[in-house]
Amino acid sequence: MKQKTTTKTSYHIPVGPIHPALKEPVYFEFELDGEKIVDVDVKLGHVHRAVEWASRKRNPIQILYLAERICGICSYCHPAAFALAVEDAAEVQIPERAEYLRVIQGELERICSHLLWAGVAAHEIGFDTVLYLTWQVREKALDLTEFLTGNRVTKGIMMIGGIRRDITKDMLPKIQKDLEYFKQMYEKLGNVFLNDKTVKMRSQGAGILTEEDALKLCAVGPTTRASGVKKDVRVDTSYFAYGDLDLHCVTPADLTGKVNGDVYDRIVQRLLEVKQSIEMIEQCIDKMPSGDIVSEPKLAKLLAQLKKVNGEGVGRHEAPRGEVIHYVKLDGNDAPFTWKVRAPTYNNILPWIPMLKGNQIADIPIVAASTDPCMSCTNRVGIVKDGNKYELTKEQLHKLSVEKTRRLMK
Amino acid sequence: MKFSMLPSVFVQMFKKPWTNKFPAKYAPANTTKFLADVGEGKAKLIPPIEVPPNFRGKIQYNKDKCIGCQLCIKVCPCEAIEFKPKEKKIKIYLARCCFCSQCNDICPVKCLSMSDEFLLADVDPYAKDLIVE
Amino acid sequence: MAKKEKKLTPQGIVKSFRDEFKTKIKDVQIKKRAAGKKKNETVTIWMKVDKSAFKSVIEHLCKLQFPHLAVASGNDLGKTIELIYHFTVNYGGRMDEINLHISVELPKTKPEIETICDWIPGALITEREKMEMLGVKVIGIPDDRKCFLPDDFPKGVYPWRRDETGPEKLYKNLHEVKK
Repeated sequence: MKQKTTTKTSYHIPVGPIHPALKEPVYFEFELDGEKIVDVDVKLGHVHRAVEWASRKRNPIQILYLAERICGICSYCHPAAFALAVEDAAEVQIPERAEYLRVIQGELERICSHLLWAGVAAHEIGFDTVLYLTWQVREKALDLTEFLTGNRVTKGIMMIGGIRRDITKDMLPKIQKDLEYFKQMYEKLGNVFLNDKTVKMRSQGAGILTEEDALKLCAVGPTTRASGVKKDVRVDTSYFAYGDLDLHCVTPADLTGKVNGDVYDRIVQRLLEVKQSIEMIEQCIDKMPSGDIVSEPKLAKLLAQLKKVNGEGVGRHEAPRGEVIHYVKLDGNDAPFTWKVRAPTYNNILPWIPMLKGNQIADIPIVAASTDPCMSCTNRVGIVKDGNKYELTKEQLHKLSVEKTRRLMK
Repeated sequence: MKFSMLPSVFVQMFKKPWTNKFPAKYAPANTTKFLADVGEGKAKLIPPIEVPPNFRGKIQYNKDKCIGCQLCIKVCPCEAIEFKPKEKKIKIYLARCCFCSQCNDICPVKCLSMSDEFLLADVDPYAKDLIVE
Repeated sequence: MAKKEKKLTPQGIVKSFRDEFKTKIKDVQIKKRAAGKKKNETVTIWMKVDKSAFKSVIEHLCKLQFPHLAVASGNDLGKTIELIYHFTVNYGGRMDEINLHISVELPKTKPEIETICDWIPGALITEREKMEMLGVKVIGIPDDRKCFLPDDFPKGVYPWRRDETGPEKLYKNLHEVKK
């Protein structure tokens, strides 16, 4: 990887589309000067599946399942935002019990997603033991999801006007036992991530996103909250039952007192959010009212009602990665006229550019993974240098990242 | 440096592993022969983990109750259900089914239900086992 | 933005726009939606803006309070293309946020609109998406490459449109196979 020529020119590395630490197929082109990154260029569109076009011949209930399969990890947020948009357009009233149940499912998904991210971030630094530990805790969370909804990943629990499955009294002891387990493991994981010297060395000072950049580039989710901008759809607006709960916007200043906007802050941010989610589930179980779980149980009647609606609606939800927004326009046919989906990662792609400038190549995996982009994959990286092509496989790029850790540890 | 993780790693050596067990103790050299042996009682198969209640497995169809209203066809997101106009009953292709159980919810006479079966892998998508009618 | 900015009210926002732009703002609707046991409400403002005043409307909004641009969606309404920009203001407090949806109609004969990237740099990706999906020309955009579609996608085919430039010729119904 060393340059033997005497003239100093910068060279370009293309990274992607399917790439080591990036979970979404994205194509980067880095301009490098030695090991430092000087400029970044981003190209998208490699997993474009024409989902919005597929909605043009499906009725709203079928679209709920189509929306679920947009992403595996946030498979609850897309149907949630879609149901909110349709309920906004059709002005459907939702029973109170359904709103509390929706919050519980959403927060449980947030716990699963943040645990997955914690494991992947540890793996990128080279700390594989922590990967196995966090994913072990995640197995318990997925077992709880399977118990409540019938499936681990594509839950199929959202319905327009409410939710499909109830939480009965005999399910409560298991939920409470699992929440106690999560609280214990949270202490242990918190200790590993926040006090360990290796993690601090690799993550502090890397991939800084200033507050001003986060505001101007409209970043969303934990990425922007870790930079000090307080944008959280659950706190800012009242939807589902979040308006009744006692919650505030979490920033890293709650734990460390200062906000830097680097990778360490994002780790702190996500751990604090896991704690907040556990507390929210407990609050919901205490305050849950009784009643129906769906506003219109006869689905044929619901479809007929939706067919008569003429209007537009927007639904926003706070996914584990940020704000999801769906826009639906109903015009009196079976299928909606327009359905626009915006997943949270698309707003978090432009911030990669200021975050990566000035860092080293070995930092690319951890900085990109710290914004938690939304899909997972592995492949090769092609490097073009002096007219020769070298290929680095995932293992080699990962090895670079691990070697940097070892160098810092000496 | 790894002191924070050492206690939990040490404890793990004495605990039962988290992974579920493979059906056979050692991977068999010839799978078909192994399954034939199990059928005769010569080898033992470790059963899969218990599924939770309300698990969405293979769909079950009560043909006599069905009235042929076609509501399940309207709501299936995968277009896995076909109508047989002469008998006014349905035919479900499991190769396309995504196990969402939406058809169960909408059926007015409740003739569809989900069972516990999930070991459904097959080579041919139109095999006898994968069509419910 | 460390200094605390004053919170806006829905009526205050509408009044400020109406005072500045008078007849270029049409069809203002303020909708409220309640949720939860305590029935706290979220406010949404839908506004239609004339194409000629669009850039100055966005400038006015940025000076009033820097908004958060969520996304821009588009509709093909036959003779016109409607672009709707979804903004939110007043984030940071508890249930103070106001959703603001500004829609602009462009004639199909001349579907051009000015870029807002100089005021809100985060709008780059959503503007590029409109360019390739609807055939809208965004004047002054810093980067006009294709965003989500592959580079060899045929020119002149716009996936979101419902007229003859739509993608009807491109798809194959693979699932209508022998059963």
